[in-house]
Amino acid sequence: MIKFRAFAREFRKELPGYLFIAPGYLAFIAFMLVPILFAIGLSFYKASFDIRARLFVGFAQYIQLSKDPIFKMALVNTIEYALVIVPATIFISLVIALLIEPLKPRAQAFFRGAFYIPGVAGGVVLSVVYLWIFNPTYGLLNFLLGQVGIKPILWLATPPHSFQAVCAVVLTFTIGQPIILFLAGLAGISPDIIDAATVDGANSMQKALYIRLPLLRPVLLFVLATQTIQVFQLWEVIYMITGGGPYNTSTSLVYLIFQTAFVGSNYGKASAIGVVLMVIILIFTAIQLRFWKDTDI
Amino acid sequence: MSTQIPKQEAFRRAVEKTIHLVSYFLLAILAVTFLLPLYWMFTGSFKLQTVTMALPPEIFPSHPTLENWNLLFTGPWPIWRWVANSVVVSLLTVILVLVVSSLTGYGFGKKKFHGSNILFIILLSTMFLPNQVILIPLFLLVRWMHLTATTLGTYFAMAMPMISSPFGIFMVKQFCSSIPDELLDAARIDGASEWDLFTKIMLPLLKPALAALAIFTFNQAWNYFMWHMVIAQDLLQFTIPVGVSVISRTPAAGKMITNIGLVMAGGSFGAFFMIVFFIAFQQYFIKGITFGAVKG
Repeated sequence: MIKFRAFAREFRKELPGYLFIAPGYLAFIAFMLVPILFAIGLSFYKASFDIRARLFVGFAQYIQLSKDPIFKMALVNTIEYALVIVPATIFISLVIALLIEPLKPRAQAFFRGAFYIPGVAGGVVLSVVYLWIFNPTYGLLNFLLGQVGIKPILWLATPPHSFQAVCAVVLTFTIGQPIILFLAGLAGISPDIIDAATVDGANSMQKALYIRLPLLRPVLLFVLATQTIQVFQLWEVIYMITGGGPYNTSTSLVYLIFQTAFVGSNYGKASAIGVVLMVIILIFTAIQLRFWKDTDI
Repeated sequence: MSTQIPKQEAFRRAVEKTIHLVSYFLLAILAVTFLLPLYWMFTGSFKLQTVTMALPPEIFPSHPTLENWNLLFTGPWPIWRWVANSVVVSLLTVILVLVVSSLTGYGFGKKKFHGSNILFIILLSTMFLPNQVILIPLFLLVRWMHLTATTLGTYFAMAMPMISSPFGIFMVKQFCSSIPDELLDAARIDGASEWDLFTKIMLPLLKPALAALAIFTFNQAWNYFMWHMVIAQDLLQFTIPVGVSVISRTPAAGKMITNIGLVMAGGSFGAFFMIVFFIAFQQYFIKGITFGAVKG
């Protein structure tokens, strides 16, 4: 009885806390947690358009995936996209941020905004214009390449080029966010450190390479993590400009999920691919967290 | 000896000035390169079909025409309806995210209760999950509930996957933790209720953080292409990105190929709203992006 009273008193004290989180947490359970668990469950079923007629198949979907050449291409491509796009994004945005940083605030804001604008315009809009730019006969790119003596390239229809084309489109809108992050990181570096280096006779280039860059490490890791996770989820540009082709050479896991689920109505298989992607991202995040432990953010 | 130091100083200044000029030059080239697609799209929208396919391409339209824009506004596409859909879906998402994030974030940031740690960790662990995974179950849910049968249901369905934003809750929680308990205690002694503490003390303090979250969420919701495409069943349910993608895939009347000029007008129209939105709210975008990544 006494125990119960103590419990009741404690509960009453804690009640506001529960009430404050309740609406949001219920939404989280309904629209996030349950769907995730449902998707994991669905990956063990053969389920198509009529979801009630699903059939439990255990790990069969996963075994089939391991033998599926298109899935393997999507998996390899997804990793290759990350290996190309992430380092390129980081390198370009870092160079741009280091170039912007010494400018006056107004010029800083101008360039920071200019590089972010393609990102807000969105992947669909950019893909639409790139379809024209990549056109083999009247596209701008082949025309410009022709001026320096390079023969017309079928950008979206021949194997290595469709992959390159997707990377190029994605790069136009991924750099904006890292530039902003790097600039914020650079602004956080104490001017005393930079002044000390100036007194010691370091020039701008040396200050950038030996002082600013190492101090940016935490931001760099953050950008690496967020960009990689974003590129792992790449699909929109693929859907818009190559359709995964030719012969699935530019497809990705998420593109395959989209096709399998929402075009082919094969929900079980699509969920299995989703779970694979989830595991890849989890492993990647776990590795990332190990790095983060050393840097205090 | 005495002139030595000023000379060195002058030399160093000259070097710095040169580096400055070179920076401007390089930045200008890079900015032009990255903005070229948008320029090409916008100028392309004023070119006739024959001009868009002409070689060499016209860098600036020599005979600008409004035909594409005319076609876009008077053609078969209900583009203003798409804009309205995009605005409503994005606003609805923002409102729901703000309510969920502020209440839940405050609860986790300022209240002590059993299980709060484990509940928060579960929430946080979904932050980096690929959201395509939840789209299949949510799609089945939407179909099962026939949500797309009504306009309001469609809007809610389109907002659904973004409502419980772990990022938003995390952001508000961090912000609440940084506010001293004494502030709340003082009001509590003065007889304020729990709800008053939240609405009268916490919310005003949270305003800048919530503004950044709102702007950021609006942009994300606006460009949530895959989900909008999955949900939208007919022309009147399209959002702007879905509409732009469909225009880009529809051949011109009586032809095998698309009318590039029209597609560019559609793309420019679609890009216009978010670009204006970004220019108007630039600081909030930056706050939203840098939150959590950079200390201070």
